[in-house]
Amino acid sequence: MTRAGFDRRDVPLFDRNFFRSNECVTRIGEGELGGKARGLVLTRDLLESRFDASGFPDVEVHVPKMVVVGTDVFDAFLERNQLKQTALSDLADDRMVEAFLRAEFPTEVLGDLRALVEEAHTPLAIRSSSLLEDAMFRPFAGVYETKMVPNNQPDADTRFVKLLEAIKFVYASTFFCSAKAYILATERTSADEKMAVIIQEVVGERHGERFYPDLAGVGRSYNFFPSKGVAPRDGVVNLALGLGKTIVDGGTSWIYSPARPKAPAPFGSTREILRSTQLDFWAVNMGKPPSYDPATETEYLLKADLSAADYDGTLSAVASTYDARRDRLVPGTGVDGPRVVDFAPLLSHSDVPLNSLIRELLTIGEQALEEAVEIEFAARLPRKGSPGMRFGFLQLRPMLVSGEEVEVGDDELARPDLLLASDRAMGNGAPEAIVDVVYVKPGPFESRLTPKIAAEVEKMNRPLVAENRPYLLLGFGRWGSSDPWLGIPVNWGQIAGARVIVESTLPGMNVEPSQGAHFFHNLISFEVCYLCVSHEEGAGSTRRGIDWEWLESQPGIDETDNVRHVRLEQPLRIKVDGRSGRGAVWHP
Amino acid sequence: MAYKPYNSFAIAQTQFDGAAKLLGLDEATCDLLRHPMREHAFAIPIRLDDGKTKVFRGFRVQHNDARGPCKGGIRFHPQETLDTVRALAMWMTWKCAVVDLPLGGAKGGVICDPHNLSDREQEAICRGWVRQMARNVGPVTDVPAPDVMTSAQHMLWMLDEFEGITGTKVPGFITGKPVSVGGSLGRTEATGYGVIFTVREALKELGIRASDTTASFQGFGNVAQYAIRLYEQLGGTTICVSCWDQEDKASYTYVKKDGVKLDELLSVTDRFGGIDKSKARDLGYEVLPGDEWVKQEVDILIPAALENQIAEENVNDISPKVKIIAEGANGPTTTEADAVLRERKVRVIPDFLANAGGVTCSYFEQVQSNMNYYWGKDEVLGKLDVKMTAAYVAVSATAQKRKLYMRDAAYIIAVDRVARACRDRGWV
Repeated sequence: MTRAGFDRRDVPLFDRNFFRSNECVTRIGEGELGGKARGLVLTRDLLESRFDASGFPDVEVHVPKMVVVGTDVFDAFLERNQLKQTALSDLADDRMVEAFLRAEFPTEVLGDLRALVEEAHTPLAIRSSSLLEDAMFRPFAGVYETKMVPNNQPDADTRFVKLLEAIKFVYASTFFCSAKAYILATERTSADEKMAVIIQEVVGERHGERFYPDLAGVGRSYNFFPSKGVAPRDGVVNLALGLGKTIVDGGTSWIYSPARPKAPAPFGSTREILRSTQLDFWAVNMGKPPSYDPATETEYLLKADLSAADYDGTLSAVASTYDARRDRLVPGTGVDGPRVVDFAPLLSHSDVPLNSLIRELLTIGEQALEEAVEIEFAARLPRKGSPGMRFGFLQLRPMLVSGEEVEVGDDELARPDLLLASDRAMGNGAPEAIVDVVYVKPGPFESRLTPKIAAEVEKMNRPLVAENRPYLLLGFGRWGSSDPWLGIPVNWGQIAGARVIVESTLPGMNVEPSQGAHFFHNLISFEVCYLCVSHEEGAGSTRRGIDWEWLESQPGIDETDNVRHVRLEQPLRIKVDGRSGRGAVWHP
Repeated sequence: MAYKPYNSFAIAQTQFDGAAKLLGLDEATCDLLRHPMREHAFAIPIRLDDGKTKVFRGFRVQHNDARGPCKGGIRFHPQETLDTVRALAMWMTWKCAVVDLPLGGAKGGVICDPHNLSDREQEAICRGWVRQMARNVGPVTDVPAPDVMTSAQHMLWMLDEFEGITGTKVPGFITGKPVSVGGSLGRTEATGYGVIFTVREALKELGIRASDTTASFQGFGNVAQYAIRLYEQLGGTTICVSCWDQEDKASYTYVKKDGVKLDELLSVTDRFGGIDKSKARDLGYEVLPGDEWVKQEVDILIPAALENQIAEENVNDISPKVKIIAEGANGPTTTEADAVLRERKVRVIPDFLANAGGVTCSYFEQVQSNMNYYWGKDEVLGKLDVKMTAAYVAVSATAQKRKLYMRDAAYIIAVDRVARACRDRGWV
């Protein structure tokens, strides 16, 4: 079974009794379904044809019920409201949303959507499913917005209006500035893009004013950062309490190798684990209506801390408690103490076959797509009165893994023309023809300036993307950090032209590197190399810092208060070895 | 085409009798429902522009209000008769009931020809009508609406008079108002869209994609135009429309086999809304006599103009390819022609179901006006679709279950609902 062999007519047209039927996927409209929806249809078929449920008794694996609104509806929406010109203009994101919210939805699908909200009474996720993503076999993760609605208002009229607002918001996000920059970097334009929308039941359970799954996760069959003792092909899994937004946004999650789920986490001490654990989680807000803000993705989401999960009773199966006297973690939440979301009760001390299920699904996905895959899922764990686990399969997509063999030898790292080197590099290959370098100036750098730096970087990125000039980007702290004190708060669109990204520390910005977590999918899709460099010279073979002197002596073609753009006469020499995680850049 | 004169009230009663028999209604219920509950006939003296006074005859017939306040239009027509108004009031009761609106049925009229009256004279008639009826109409008793030869302007004059008499602001007194003064978004589109919602459901049942079908429309007014628009949006191809030509006092059929383009035709209409023949020819349309629309080789026929257009004389001209007839107009099929279509097993979506989108949206306007809170167009049309689809599905299910013709199934659903309401209230 392959993606190419799929026909949208395999998906039945929406029937107004859909939520009472056994179907899990249906469509509204005759248009294309987009990449994400096709992935989910494939998942449905794989679960039916290749997954042996008998191996997992008491587990219900399913694709949550979903309705796909085809790309023809998106086309009709733009055309009938004459929105194309607005969409392709430079309008700010909030103005774009406003213009889309004012527009009328195509009449021919209103009745079906209205019937849908009359039948569905659980929270709904309104997800983008892009056509280009499908056409280019490239996962556009995080490029477009997803909106969740609680869908719990007693009045169907209100639920209907909120659903339409959410769809229009997702449509508008097709033309957000960052999305346009992203598309441009793929050498296509937003005019080529069409958007299908997936309306899908959110996996989880209501706890007071919060609705969330016990866990959400991302599983990858290939690990770009394998720790000692595990191979890249062993894969890697991120788990988090609550909605998967925590992981997608690059927040703190529990990372483990599915080959060794019980292995201790690679932290120096228990206290370090305590410092690095998930402290809050996302949930759908089922309580008091939030202030009206249809232009925001998180309008109906709330962030709660672990004490809320403790109160809800959802923490005990996914957390351990720190025993200060013995300086160790005790699985579960039976005693008082700081909690660590390490999923130990589930991975080490439970009969729930979560890890073996994830491994099985990764294997099935790899076999079907004939390449490395990534899956997203959310689950509700067994509890009293409801003994089985409900496992919602939310996404299956291919991962681009470069097969090129690159070696970075010790002798090369010792060369005097070394610009920078890293033993925490991601990606694989030897990018050529990079003559542009955009770097944050170390001299004037201060953490409080990071939002300004983000804007200055964006200004330099724009012409480089327009001229199709890939560049090396160098800065301090975590690129894409949502906390401006921990790094430079850019979104992907603002740095979309970069093909090599370097994340360095400084004495005033000595934070744990993000290793590209915020842009993980973009890095993979665009085959971007990501290098983490420490300012401190150390014992490791690559701990050499950055040759700032050489960089500053190069001819600049643009400069702002904090950022400088230099253009070299000859391309830089760049090598990244994905297997060893070693990478370096040399003078031309 | 000449048609036999007929008494519409007698026809309405005959139709009711058929449904009552199928339902086995008792004599008292039949007596109650065969006749209107209340009839108002009154004089409206008006001073004309030339200084003379003329007395016009006005009517309001409230057929049944067991399910809720009465609802129905006000017609200005020189040939208006009390019997016509009675029949139309009864049909309104069934129309509201078949789409499950909490309303009863009524109709009103004035014997007059607005073509021969100035705006001031028409305003005086509107205000006179309200002065006569103010005690018997209102947002919780009987809600008028525009109909033949009355418009949003007439409704505003009536509303203004009613508010003046009662000393209140009651936008829910009347519907069909302009959007700027308490009307509902989507009202203009509602009837035409409603017709196509039912056609779409019929196609689903027949297992045919809209994109694989062609249609012929009679009429090019508001109902037909919006029906064509939505049908095209669903993927269907309209190959023919017929339209009245004010200059020639005749209708013509415009055919384009590869698909009529609505906006193109709208661009060559005259001030009466008629299509300019020569410009249409220039655009590649074949111009044929007015009754040719019914003979087209299409899957769907949509009469959306006048009553009695499919009759004994032309019913056999209908192509065997035709699978669906959706009655956008009121009473476009005569009883004799209906019998032939029934025999041929054509799926006829009866008028009071197919064109109920208009009254449904009027009901939405009434609700919005009573709340003085107005919905977005998406919201109105979404609700309209759900209401129309649910009504179609209920009628179709009854037809299949009881092996009935669609019209009979629609009648028994509607009459049953009204009869039950009368019984539940203890009237019979």
